[in-house]
Amino acid sequence: MHPQLEVLLQIQDLKGQQRELAEGDDARQVEAEEFHMNVEDALRAIDQKLEELEGELDPPIRARYKRMSRSYHRVVVPVIGGNCFGCFVSIPTSVSSDIRSNDRIHHCENCGRFLYVIG
Amino acid sequence: MELREFFNKEAVSLDLKGESKDEILKELIGLLGLDEKSEGILFKMLKRRENLGSTGIGRGIAIPHCRSLVVNRLRVAFGRKPGGVDFKAIDNEPVYNFFLIVAPPLEVSNQYLPVLGKIAQFAKEPDVPRRLAEITQPEDFLALLEEKGF
Repeated sequence: MHPQLEVLLQIQDLKGQQRELAEGDDARQVEAEEFHMNVEDALRAIDQKLEELEGELDPPIRARYKRMSRSYHRVVVPVIGGNCFGCFVSIPTSVSSDIRSNDRIHHCENCGRFLYVIG
Repeated sequence: MELREFFNKEAVSLDLKGESKDEILKELIGLLGLDEKSEGILFKMLKRRENLGSTGIGRGIAIPHCRSLVVNRLRVAFGRKPGGVDFKAIDNEPVYNFFLIVAPPLEVSNQYLPVLGKIAQFAKEPDVPRRLAEITQPEDFLALLEEKGF
């Protein structure tokens, strides 16, 4: 897997967790009641980690990530059944077979999201 | 929705070898049969969740959980460490039983939180720690879930 794609996946996972804790009442409740999590502290810690991870991105990738983040919650999406799982538009076969190894950074030609294939 | 529908015996280990929190997490992840890179990403995510507060809920039970892009459907695993391990649980006691839950960021059927809640509920049953200590094969674990109505 391309190291930058690995960082992007980590960022996206953390952003998902951040959003769920910040906006999801059920998630906040489960984490606070069952696991005694201090949700506000957790959100601050996630923010800090996100900043660290974003610092690991190469400048052009970081710039693209930041730009895309302004439009979409999910900037890194899987290719499922040959379709971008962000905009659901079909990925050209030539690109689709190249993505399979996750060794290069690919974007959806339609929506611009970063693409990967689940192993 | 029943918990036993999500478990299969291949994702049950009654003899975890790990001696530390990290080793146990890696072993649990190994039960999901992901590729190496995905395992690494998932480990980091679970560690980050643990750093926000241990998922050891007491009575020898922990429920490590997170959402991650490395899975395309909800995945669960169960592991037992007969000697117990320090998991920084809420009650500061060793943890013997581990339920791993991983879900993709988007799920059509939205099962992640209900499954997490059900496992927590199962874990609170008074005799569950003892019953989990008694099981001898993965099928017994599935049978226990069924017997308890989970």
